[in-house]
Amino acid sequence: MKEKICFTLNNKYLSIDADLSMRLIDFLRDELRLTGTKEGCSQGECGACTVIIDGKTANSCLVLLGQIEGAHITTIEGLGDENNIHPIQQAFIEEGAVQCGYCIPGMVLSAKALLDKNCGPDKEYIKRAISGNLCRCTGYKKIEKAIQRASEKMKEAENDD
Amino acid sequence: MTKNLNTIGKSEKRVDAKDKVMGKALYPGDIYMDNMVYGYTVRSTIPCGEIRVDKSQAQKHPGVLYIFTADDIIGNNHHGVIIKDQEVFCKKKVRRIGEPIAFVVARSYEAAKEAAKMISIEFKEFTGVFDPREAMKDDASKVHKGKDNLIFHYKLRDGNIEEGFMNSDIIVENNYETSMVEHSFLQPEAGVAYVDEKGSVNLIVATQYPHYDREEIAQALNLPQESIRIITSAVGGAFGGREDITLQIHLALASYKLKRPVKTIYSREESFIAHSKRHPFYMHYKTGAKKDGTLMAMEAEIIGDAGAHASWAINILRKAGVHATGPYLIPNVKVDCYAVYTNNPYTGAMRGFGAAQVPMAYEQQIDEIANRLNINPIDFRLKNCFRIGSKTATGQIIEGSIPLGKLIKIAAEKIGYNISTGVSI
Amino acid sequence: MKKRGKGIGATFYGTGYGNGFPDVSNCEVELNCQGKIVVYTGATEVGQGAKTVLSQIAAEVMGVDLDSIVLVCEDTCCTPDAGTAAASRQTYNTGNGVRLACIKLKEMIKKVEENHKRVKGLPDEILTMKEIYEASRAQAIILKARDSFTACTSTMDEENGQGSPYWPYTFSCYAVEVEVDTETGRIEVLNAYCAQDVGKAINPVLIEGQIEGGFAMGMSWTLYEDLNLNQGIIKNNNFSKYIIPTSMDMPDICSIIVEDEESTGPYGAKGIGEPVMLAAMPAILNAIHDAVGIRVTKLPASPDYIVKKIQELDKSNLIERK
Repeated sequence: MKEKICFTLNNKYLSIDADLSMRLIDFLRDELRLTGTKEGCSQGECGACTVIIDGKTANSCLVLLGQIEGAHITTIEGLGDENNIHPIQQAFIEEGAVQCGYCIPGMVLSAKALLDKNCGPDKEYIKRAISGNLCRCTGYKKIEKAIQRASEKMKEAENDD
Repeated sequence: MTKNLNTIGKSEKRVDAKDKVMGKALYPGDIYMDNMVYGYTVRSTIPCGEIRVDKSQAQKHPGVLYIFTADDIIGNNHHGVIIKDQEVFCKKKVRRIGEPIAFVVARSYEAAKEAAKMISIEFKEFTGVFDPREAMKDDASKVHKGKDNLIFHYKLRDGNIEEGFMNSDIIVENNYETSMVEHSFLQPEAGVAYVDEKGSVNLIVATQYPHYDREEIAQALNLPQESIRIITSAVGGAFGGREDITLQIHLALASYKLKRPVKTIYSREESFIAHSKRHPFYMHYKTGAKKDGTLMAMEAEIIGDAGAHASWAINILRKAGVHATGPYLIPNVKVDCYAVYTNNPYTGAMRGFGAAQVPMAYEQQIDEIANRLNINPIDFRLKNCFRIGSKTATGQIIEGSIPLGKLIKIAAEKIGYNISTGVSI
Repeated sequence: MKKRGKGIGATFYGTGYGNGFPDVSNCEVELNCQGKIVVYTGATEVGQGAKTVLSQIAAEVMGVDLDSIVLVCEDTCCTPDAGTAAASRQTYNTGNGVRLACIKLKEMIKKVEENHKRVKGLPDEILTMKEIYEASRAQAIILKARDSFTACTSTMDEENGQGSPYWPYTFSCYAVEVEVDTETGRIEVLNAYCAQDVGKAINPVLIEGQIEGGFAMGMSWTLYEDLNLNQGIIKNNNFSKYIIPTSMDMPDICSIIVEDEESTGPYGAKGIGEPVMLAAMPAILNAIHDAVGIRVTKLPASPDYIVKKIQELDKSNLIERK
């Protein structure tokens, strides 16, 4: 059964009729074809499907569409674009934090949720912020460095303003 | 040799990094096509037995297009990287949990799963064999009918092992067991197959070896290789777990028969039972040395559990045997490696490939001897390790780049071992 | 009580399929109309960095920027077979294949260029790659080259296993410090120093990434991973039961890249994808022994296992004293 629901996705207001028992990840991927959100385990353990809901990270495989009425949602597609890449994404490239890449959209969003709240996190904070995102390739070290670098860049940019 | 280099030696940014951080890299699950249908694999739930499949009821499910079983294979129903002992679909016998029996193609993934439950499979369970040491015995039940469970025996002989131990002042003997583990790449298996306007079967898949996949599909579908095209998507990790065939033939067959794009994505749980694992090793090691810290002899028996299919077992147990001594000069060596079928999940390639398991034994043996002789473990390693011109236990003279001594010294210094006095500081 | 210990693990790894099995990597390169060098080879990018490393090798041989290389590896219709992305063989084997094909193309380009200059009577003119392409069209020459590399391997004797199965060998020596909680059996790896032979580092940051990830995988196998296999059934079949490390579990890792060029490797490089995980496990096991005096003889070294082993050791020490 379809019902009406309104929410903001990547700064765009949406008002749609949808099956509210659908998982958010399926809505994003199958309906909107926003495939940057990845599925790795379907039980909230791996964090590949991380999105930001009202400033907090969430595993979109555990969220139902009915739960996001009125919420602001950010997916990886809402960060930077080709010509205006987000400093976190840029830092991931520069630090060599990417290998197979499957965990990376989720990692980038966990980093964004952290840096939006805390612009100068120390190593422990960074480690904790990504502790819900599994990565099998990198051993996390370069990802942590990338987040550190991004936080410095973002602070510099703020000071310049 | 390498002077004035432009890009070699520079930490250039990855050419695939930008797409990946933007979420734009396409893994096979990210592919959607018009008119696409979905496949779900029905698998064995018992480790050893016979099956009788009746798909007639399930075929009537309104969402179902077709249910593929062994009867639908026109070409070769067998595949495998070395020995063709894996069935595309089990015909009569199952040898492990997770072996594919049928592939249900339906208009939605849910319908395919529902119909899968309606397939009637009669399982007649037999007692399986789960320990390779038991499976090696003559009276053990056979995993593959008419075939010995022992797949391969690698024998390495160098010097005179009895004399080597006779001339040793100390002998350390121990058993070691490594565990069966899982690649845990983050992207579960997925793929999309379709037939193009020329009639060729195209398969978009995350694989480690597209040309091998093409060959196996061609043989199963009885088509020339030119009619098969493998497009490698972005691959979400592999580590050896994407070398054997999983969903490739099922998807290619379904799209070829139905002339529609067919997609499948494994759940994490299905991924765990669908692809290979790391071989557990049962190792018996005996190592002898002189009081002055000279290694004299090493004897090892290594049994590897191949599970239900050989996959790379021969190559892995061979690689284990060649690396069994560790990077040390030992004049008298006797190694026996066995690869053995069991009814366990099948094992195959995983990062390290046989050379990964043996260090558990050889490096602890080395450490234990050093301990008992009261020699600093760093000095002991430096005394016995390979250098330029060394002869390995297989008689290979290694010339060229052999910086092992340097590596040992660097690592020891960094962690704070004092090399000259033998005291850990 | 928490006890600390240090341990070291030295390992080696022979690259390639081995034992005389044909280990071949094919590559085709062409100069296209945009002046780009297009490299075709069937080597899969699985996350290890093959696309970047092979592009760097091509750029180096051709003397062009990395941006001028287009590496195509994703399609069996247009890429020649370059073997499996396995056996740590893509940098070494396919890297050599790419290098050889590029050397051939470079020779062809040189001839076209010389011809063009001679005909035009402009010996000092410097041509762009795009102009060279146009010149090749005028000369009716297709600037496309193909070559392959076959690894050096021989079949071993069936009776005594003697022979030269692999080449080259890559060496590692990792040292770690661990802390063992003798009450709970929990082990924490505090530090890791990873000295890694690479031949020649084509891309140091990519190698560091491999070392860090390889160490994580080796540590995970040693301490955590357990399928809980019983009668052929995998009981731990998802990530809530099958534990792999998170960021919180990882120690600081110090990678030490040691260069010692391998004369048969592309620019001296060796494969490192697998070698980087081998030394982690023995280093951790030897450190556990150094800390609490037990030998781990069965993996994983789980808290339960460690506690049991410590209790056994205490008991036998007691008996010895009596």
